[in-house]
Order: sequence, then structure tokens, then C-alpha cells
Amino acid sequence: MSHKISCSHCHLEFDPSVMIKDEEYYFCCSGCQSVFHLLCDEKLDSFYEKSKNITLSPPSKNFEDSSSFDTPSFYNKFVKVNSDGFCEVSLIIEGIHCSACVWLNEKALHKMDGVIEANINFTNNKATIVWADDIVKLSAIIDMIRSIGYNAFAYDSSAQEIHANRERKAYYLKMAVAIFASMNIMWIAVAQYAGYFSGITQDVKTILNIAEGVLATPVLFYSGWVFFRGAYYGLRAKVINMDLLVATGATLTYFYSLYITILGRGEAYFDSVSMIVTFVLIGKFLEVLSKKSAADVLDKITKNIPTDVKIIKQNSIVICKLDDIIVGDIVVVSSGERVLLDGEIVRGSGSFDESSLTGESEPVYKSVGMNVISGTASIDADIHFRVIKDFKHSTLSNIVTLLESAINKKPKIQLMANRLSEHFSTVILTLSFITFIVWWIWSNSFETSFMVAISVIIIACPCALALATPVATLVGLGLGASRGILFKEAAGLESMAKADTLVLDKTGTITVGKPEVISENIYKNFDRRLLYSLVKSSNHPVAKGVAKYIKEQDEKIDEIVFDEYMQIPAKGIRAKYKNEEFLGGNLKLLQENSLQVEVSTKETSFYFVVNNEVVAMYELRDKIKNNISELMENMLQNNIDVVLLSGDHENITKKVALEVGIKNFMFEQTPQDKAKYIEKLHKEGKKVVMVGDGVNDILALALADIAIAMGGGSDIAVEVGDVVLLDDSLKSLSDAFKISRTTFGLIKQNLFISLAYNALTIPLAMAGYVIPLFAAISMSLSSLLVVGNSMRIRHKWMRS
Amino acid sequence: MDNWVIAMMLGVSIFLGAIALFAFLWAVKNGQFDDEEKFLNAVKFDGENELNDALKQEEKKESLKRKYKPE
Repeated sequence: MSHKISCSHCHLEFDPSVMIKDEEYYFCCSGCQSVFHLLCDEKLDSFYEKSKNITLSPPSKNFEDSSSFDTPSFYNKFVKVNSDGFCEVSLIIEGIHCSACVWLNEKALHKMDGVIEANINFTNNKATIVWADDIVKLSAIIDMIRSIGYNAFAYDSSAQEIHANRERKAYYLKMAVAIFASMNIMWIAVAQYAGYFSGITQDVKTILNIAEGVLATPVLFYSGWVFFRGAYYGLRAKVINMDLLVATGATLTYFYSLYITILGRGEAYFDSVSMIVTFVLIGKFLEVLSKKSAADVLDKITKNIPTDVKIIKQNSIVICKLDDIIVGDIVVVSSGERVLLDGEIVRGSGSFDESSLTGESEPVYKSVGMNVISGTASIDADIHFRVIKDFKHSTLSNIVTLLESAINKKPKIQLMANRLSEHFSTVILTLSFITFIVWWIWSNSFETSFMVAISVIIIACPCALALATPVATLVGLGLGASRGILFKEAAGLESMAKADTLVLDKTGTITVGKPEVISENIYKNFDRRLLYSLVKSSNHPVAKGVAKYIKEQDEKIDEIVFDEYMQIPAKGIRAKYKNEEFLGGNLKLLQENSLQVEVSTKETSFYFVVNNEVVAMYELRDKIKNNISELMENMLQNNIDVVLLSGDHENITKKVALEVGIKNFMFEQTPQDKAKYIEKLHKEGKKVVMVGDGVNDILALALADIAIAMGGGSDIAVEVGDVVLLDDSLKSLSDAFKISRTTFGLIKQNLFISLAYNALTIPLAMAGYVIPLFAAISMSLSSLLVVGNSMRIRHKWMRS
Repeated sequence: MDNWVIAMMLGVSIFLGAIALFAFLWAVKNGQFDDEEKFLNAVKFDGENELNDALKQEEKKESLKRKYKPE
């Protein structure tokens, strides 16, 4: 019977014969069954109505003991006590598929005595739980989450992350107020300007002024508070910044307008006050939004390190906390697991993936007496090893510490707009002060001279200047995103445009990282299916390359099931089928079986042997990606030095470097070597762009001015990267350079436009020719010019 | 008279707008927009039961708070 039934809990489909039947319900496992009954008992079964037919993962049964959540050391690290005296913890909930899952978790937790608040974020699966510790223990809360089919991990929500979220929220509130008030002021201003032309009585004008004043007050003192604060901190550091210009300009204009309103004559400028604050606030918000926090990166990395290790104690395997392992303990590692400590193998053998240290995907074979290094992973090895360093001193923990310091040491290139605005603010404030003095001496009227001085500040008020950089970077980010290039931080565009050195990793960055067959030599005819089935089941990159080649030759090739099949570590594969013996592997395998081959090749080779006779030989090479010449040309034109850093051996590195035309290359580089090389470049005053894909590149990536990660690379590299190339191609890399240079050019253009505009209008304002209408139009016009110019560039790029 | 009408209209409309603004600010502060997905899906899970549960939760929180701070 092929008819399948879906499980009543997880909705995965199975044959009815293997399922548990329970009244009219079917379950795939007892885990699903117990969750289902629990939800029904707790009257939470409307969950199934809400989640519709979304498939869930069946609940796992083997959890570590939840009592470890109640230990004082756990409380010290993760649990905070809030102002009401309740406990608070941040968790990551695993297994959330849909909004109904969020609903279920929150409901189930709310039903528990003592739980005060459970708030789960659907987007990032992070949860905040508040509870009264004397009524319910955290372990009970965790047990509840597990019993309904989910799992929870504690995470240390760092102070920086909380701070970043709070800052963003504060900006939302301030912007909401500013935009609301500005939009209303604009309506009232329409009446004002209409009145200016067609005539308006002073009474009505005063009423409109009062309404505008009421609306402008919260904009200046609530939304504009960031500028006062920024100006204060700037002054304390003895820097005149843009905040000071905005704050003084807006405040002086506000009080002047207030004076005009009370006096009942002249023009009030409340609309300018709120417009300036709103525009500059939006510009500032765009900058805050595009900043990434280093804290997030570290969170992700440390989360990936498991905290438990299996060790042997009194002849049985026990699970132990990573921090409690001491030198001399015997640790058990099974195939597929990660090695978390450094040690010496005492039992077993097998191959290890050391790509996190060398960047090379070729497995390394290890046996008794050899050292295993933390951070590597076992591919097919089941071993016992004796710990020679505790976790704090292990290679893995060393790398994490180095990474932490590298992220903090990352150079910050001061943005051009910030530097410019310092000078600009100083000049404008001085000019307006001079204007005031000169006019006072000239006209002897305080009111006139004060008004003229203020009009200088209003005209100069850096709406356009504040928008110049954010708008241009938004255009750059958009252009990148549409081409699969993600700039994580807006400032990255400018830093990248200024770079003068490009450091490349070899495997996975300029080469594909997977060997491909370049020639096939057949000595005797054989059944292709046999070879295909032989290499298909192996994880070795060479075998995968051969399998891919055969599949390309014959799309419909099918597999044979061998009677016997075994992998010979570091040599190849041996299999038996109908009394015939097959061997597939490298030269070493042939030598071991005392077979002779005459052809010698410089490339990686793979031999296929049937009944002790070599029937075919394949040459494989790790191909260099397309568009490398275009990239090199692009770099040459822009005087960017290119350096190749590889963890590979000298000959291979040299060959690749010669082929692509890189003169400067280094080989056999450890992660630390790469990082040191970047530091050396920094000392020489270079601005470095580093491109990499592997765990072995992360230290260097973290240190570089701009880190570019290949999207197909390791998660950690993507996390550390400032720029991610989603399609891994070198074309994207040269596009990224082009986009960053275009954007930087655009920033310069925009700044030039706003400065030129000011140079034109400020003399007019100083001469006292500026009427309110002109001031208002001029302000919007300069902003429009900047935005329009950015759109022009975007349009040009989009068409090409 | 005309002036009085203008002033009143302005005052009333700004006041009404301000009420909406404060409701929005309250919602932002309350974290109702923190998670855009959840915020959009919340409509689907709205009903009498949900309101009752929310009230019960609120009462539980208050009673616990009182217990912790007897003064």
C-alpha cells in the first residue's frame, strides 16, 4: 500500500503500517503522540488549527539533563534580576517553524505558575522570559518548552546588542514625533505662504504661528535632543561638529520665531526648525541603521561551539562540560563530530577535515600517536584521544580570543562627510557671528542684525549635507544587493573605495575549491556504472570530481549496489561486485597493490583498477574561476596591489599565482600567519581588502579594513565579512570595487553640490537679501538636488 | 469670530492627531512592532480567548509584583 498518512502532530507523511494508531489519530513516533496529548490536555489544541499543515520536526527525546540550568554558574552567566526582583533570561528557541509555534510556546509558558512574561521573536527565534524564581525554577520552564516539542538554549545577550536595539527604538520614537509635527506644520505653512502673497491679517498669522510653535516645540526639544547631546559631547572633546551647527541653528531660529510670534510682527520660521531637525534626524537614522555590531558576530561564533564533550571515566562514557575537562582526560570523538580540545590519539584512526586551519578541503589521515587539533572535524574517524591542553589553552579557544581582539582592533576610516562637516560647521558659525557684528555696527538695530545672522544659519543648515552621504550609500547598497553583493555596513563602501591592497585567499576564492577532471585516459573498456557507483559514495573531493565528470558525460547513469565496499583512508576505495574486485584511488593505492603505471602527471590523479589491472586514469585540477583576468585588469587600472595568501604548499600556490599573474604570494600560511601579514600591511599604512571563504581566513578577515566573504564559504567567514558575495564569483568582486568607487564618487559629488549651493546662497543671506519664502524653497531645493543626483547615478547603473 | 473658528479647528485637529501619535508611540515603546512577522500574524490569533488570557496574565503579574513588594 503506497497511500501515506501524515502524523497528527508533525504532519510528516509515513506509511500507515509504521505509524502509531491512537483512536482516530496517527503518530509517527511516541514523541509526537505525547506532545499531542499534552496540548489537548492543556486545551492548547487550537495550535493545530493555527499551524494548518505546516510540517514540524518531531520532538527529540535525548536532551541533556535540564538541572544544569539551575546551577549557580549558569545563573551567574545568563540570568539577570530585573528592577521588580524577577529573574530574566534570554533564550534561543529551536524548532520554531511558523507563527503558531510562537503562539504555542508563549501560551504554554504563560500557563505556568510564576512565569510573568514570555516574549518570543519570530524573526530571530530569540525569547525573553521573566519569572519569579521562588515559585518556578528555570529548569521547569526549559522542561516545558521541551515537552511541547521544542528546545531552548541560553545565550548571553550582550550589553551592546541591548544597547543597539534600544538606540534604534529611541530613533523610531523621535522620528515619529518629528515627522508627525513636520507634516502638520507643512499644512499650516501652506496657509502662511498663501497669505504672504494674497494678504493675511496679523491676527490670523499669529494664530498660525502659535499652532506651528506648539508643533515645533516637541520636534526641537524631544526629537532634536540627539543634536544637543552630540553638540555637548563634541564640545567636551573640543570638536565643532555638525550637531552643534544644527542645534544652534534650530534653537536660535526657534527662539527668534517665538519672539516674533509674541511681538506679533515679522515672519516666524517654525517650519524651518522642524524641517531641519526632521531631515537631519532621518539622515542620522539611516547611518545608525546600516551599522552592524561586532557583538552580534561574536554571539554567532560562540554559539556554534558545543559545550559538552564525551569522556571516558571508569570504563564508561560520560558527558562532561567543556570547561571541566582537565589535561589527561580521554575524550571520545565519533565520525562527523567536531574536535573541541587538543590531544593525542590513543585509539582508532580516520580522516579529519582540517579546512578550518589550512583552508584545504583534502582530508588528513590520522592514527594512534598523532595529534588532533581543536576546531577540526572528524569525517569518518571514531577515536579516543588524551587531552594535552585544557579548553582555555586550546587552539580553538585561542582563535576565538584572537578573533575577539581582532574585531575590536579593526581600523575605522574616518568618513569624509564627518571630517568635512567639522570644518563646515566652524566656518558657518563664524560667518554668521561676523554677519551679526557687521550688521549691528552698520544698521545699529539688534533685531535686523540678529535676523540676518540667523538667516545665514538657516540657509546653510546642512540638510543637503546631512543627506548627501546616507542617500548615496543607500544607492550603493541597492546596486550591490541587486547584483548579489551585500554590503553589511554603509561605511564599507567608502573604505573599500579607498583601499590600495587586495589580499586573496586561494582555495574557494580564486579557485573553485573542487577538483575537476581535465583529462581522461582509458586503457581498457569497462562498465562506467561501476566506476560511478564506486566514486559516488565517497566524500573525498577527488572522488566527487570524478563522479561529477561521469554524470556530465551520461546524465542517466544508474548506480550498482556493491557486495562489499570500504574506504581506505588517504588512499582510495575498494569494492567487490560479482566476484570482481575494484579499486579506485591515488598512486599510493597502486603501489600498495604492487601495480605499475608508466604515465606520470603533475596534476592530481585518480586510477581505476579492475581485477588488478589499471583500466583508466583521470587527471584532476582545481580550476581557477572565470573573470580573473577582468579582476586583475581592474586592479591594475586602479593601482591596487594584489597579494595571494594560501595555506597550500609552495608548488601549487606558485602555479596558481603564475597562471593568474599575481607576483606577490605567500604559501603554507596558518590563520595566525595571515592575520600577521594583514597587520604588517597596516603598519606600512596600507588599506587592505581581504577576500576569503574559510574558517582559516577569519582572523585575517576580522583585521582587514574591508573583509569580503564568499557566500558559499563557512558561516563564520560570512559573519565576519563586511561584504558578502552571494554568487562566489570574481565578477561580483570586481563589481563590488566598481560600485564602491561609484558610490564614493557620488558622495563627493553630493557634498560638492551642497557646498556649492551654500557658497552661492550664504553671501546672499549675509547681504540680508533672503526672504522667508526663498529660505524655505532653497532648503528643499538643495536636498532635492542631492537626492536627484543620486537617483541619476542609480538609473545609469541599472540600465548598464 | 473668524479667527476663533480657525484657532478652534487647528486646536482640535492637532489634538486628534496627537492622540493617534501617542497611541503609536505607546505601541512602539510596548514592543508591539519589534517583530514584524509576529505583528502581522497577531491579527490571525485574536479573539475572546486571547483577550482573556492576556488579562489573566496581567493579573498574575500584578499579584506577584505585590507579593514581592509588600509595601
